[in-house]
Amino acid sequence: MSVVAGCDVGSLATKAVIMDKRRIVASVIIRSGPRPAESAQKAMDQVLSESGLLSGDISYCVGTGYGREKIPFVNESLSEISCHGKGAMFLVPSTRSVIDIGGQDCKVIKLDAKGNLVKFITNDKCASGTGRFLDVMAKVMNIPVSELGDLSLTSREPITLASMCTVWAQADVIKNINARRPAQDICAGINTAMANRVSMLANAMSLENDICMTGGVAKNKGVVHALARLMGKRIKDIRQVDPQLVGAVGAALFAHEKAGKTKEARS
Amino acid sequence: MKSTLFNDAAQTIDLSSVREFKENGGKVVGHTCSFLPVEIFYAAGMLPVRLRGINTESLNIGDAYYGPFVCTFPKALLQQAGTGAYDFIDGAIITSGCDSMRRLDECWRKMGQDISGTLPSWFYYFDVPNKPDGVAFEWYESRVRKLIRDVEKKFKISISDEDLRKAIRDQNVIRKAVWDLGLLRCEVPTFITGTEAFEALIARTVLPRDLYAEELTRLIDDVKARKDPVSNTKKRLFLAGSICDDLELVRQIEEAGAVVVGETVCYGQRNTCAQVEVEGDPVSALADHYLSGSICPRMFGYYPLRLNTLVDRIKQTRAQGVIMQNIRFCDLHGSENGLLERDLEKLGIPSLRIEKEYGALSEKGRLRMRFDAFLEQLDTQD
Repeated sequence: MSVVAGCDVGSLATKAVIMDKRRIVASVIIRSGPRPAESAQKAMDQVLSESGLLSGDISYCVGTGYGREKIPFVNESLSEISCHGKGAMFLVPSTRSVIDIGGQDCKVIKLDAKGNLVKFITNDKCASGTGRFLDVMAKVMNIPVSELGDLSLTSREPITLASMCTVWAQADVIKNINARRPAQDICAGINTAMANRVSMLANAMSLENDICMTGGVAKNKGVVHALARLMGKRIKDIRQVDPQLVGAVGAALFAHEKAGKTKEARS
Repeated sequence: MKSTLFNDAAQTIDLSSVREFKENGGKVVGHTCSFLPVEIFYAAGMLPVRLRGINTESLNIGDAYYGPFVCTFPKALLQQAGTGAYDFIDGAIITSGCDSMRRLDECWRKMGQDISGTLPSWFYYFDVPNKPDGVAFEWYESRVRKLIRDVEKKFKISISDEDLRKAIRDQNVIRKAVWDLGLLRCEVPTFITGTEAFEALIARTVLPRDLYAEELTRLIDDVKARKDPVSNTKKRLFLAGSICDDLELVRQIEEAGAVVVGETVCYGQRNTCAQVEVEGDPVSALADHYLSGSICPRMFGYYPLRLNTLVDRIKQTRAQGVIMQNIRFCDLHGSENGLLERDLEKLGIPSLRIEKEYGALSEKGRLRMRFDAFLEQLDTQD
């Protein structure tokens, strides 16, 4: 049996991917609940149903994400840093650097030509530079977080947020809403503030091309464009799948390798 | 049954052995820095204990005296002193380990005015130069001599050169034992976890000397007799950086699948445990040892020596990677870790830098993810 799975339980979203011979068969993204085990089970049930497979058909499953230790059905768990690197390299083989912005943290990862993890750095400070920052700002703006990116692209006069602290930036956004600044300008300011924070982390690593962005925030074009501008580097799009799935794809790829090794060991 | 003496000492401030020492008429002096020659207090028949900020549940007092952008270590010490955890000490010595630690002197004195009973009856500031050479030696030696005089005056005792030599000899025995313990950790595979070794090293800073020496000898003999190694396959990691007496940090690194085989953090086995000269003037010998033997980045201009010491210890312990941690807002180790990361990378030694608050691991999940990823990174380099 060559069918494997990867399950990535993040702080905001849980992702599951099923692969057969390194080909994605099915995938789902659901909102994470308070209990990682339940979120993981729900995502797996959905992805199995989508693929028409049964849990017994999965020969190996790797878990990742902050809730990885709590997933009961995985054979093994690996850090999301390794999984995002693996997934990005698979989807864009020229990848040498990955910027993953998830719900509660941001990671910058360097890979060698074989996709091995060479170095990584994560944000240490707070919620700024994470998906949670955008979530908070979107709520204040009363728009879905998914609209922050496209809306910001039409901005002509982006606002500047004086602080990257989520709490102070929120106060700044409210001030600008009350000053009747156009929503697109506020969105552009929010995205640039986010990109500013992440670029500091990225610049500390002297990234090599090609650079990919993964995680939910990679879907926000405003942040991606601002980040590319601030770093002075191009960021390659991941087109094959939703970039939020990359960690789960990486986990499934590790599952594929591990399943192969298990099979070899048995024969 | 395994003794819990070291584990208790590593995780508790109020220790029965220290209480017992006091009940027998002994005086206990708390101190904050490895630049204080503890032999002076042993020579005086007193017990020096290193002050710690462990188990703080709030920083409401620490935050009142320090600003927000300050390392949480002195805040935690102040918090513990302010909530009565150090009511048992007869004196405290504050040292200028860094600016935030130097400010502890002012903050604690002010707290003593504001919260009755929190300032020990003897509260002493011990200045240490930021260079281990030239005029600094004379300055430091004069400070050590003044400290001896002030201790004699305050506690109405006399400290002779012979008392000092005996204290030096006793501490040299402990230094040698700590070195021996370090050598056991260098073995591949090792028979002692980093957590067990680290608790023994932390205990050194708080337990009465004779009790400690006896228990350390017992531990070393026990480790030598062990048949089952910790693991043949676990990655061997070295811990460097800011002051650290957090057993949970080492435990968490090891729970991720590593074994911590050495450390240069304050409270750990910082350096090579060199012996203090017992011949000649004991005060000069102590001044020479304490001022020139340290690899603390508070000392100006000795980065190459510190790098070389770290590299030597990494090689000696056969560590496969280094975790360099610094407490948030620790300027000294924050900047030093950046340089070390660059230079270790050039030497092909993988490193992971982390920044964290002092004390309870509130960031446990995020740290664990980084430890896991670092170990996975090392796996790919095999």
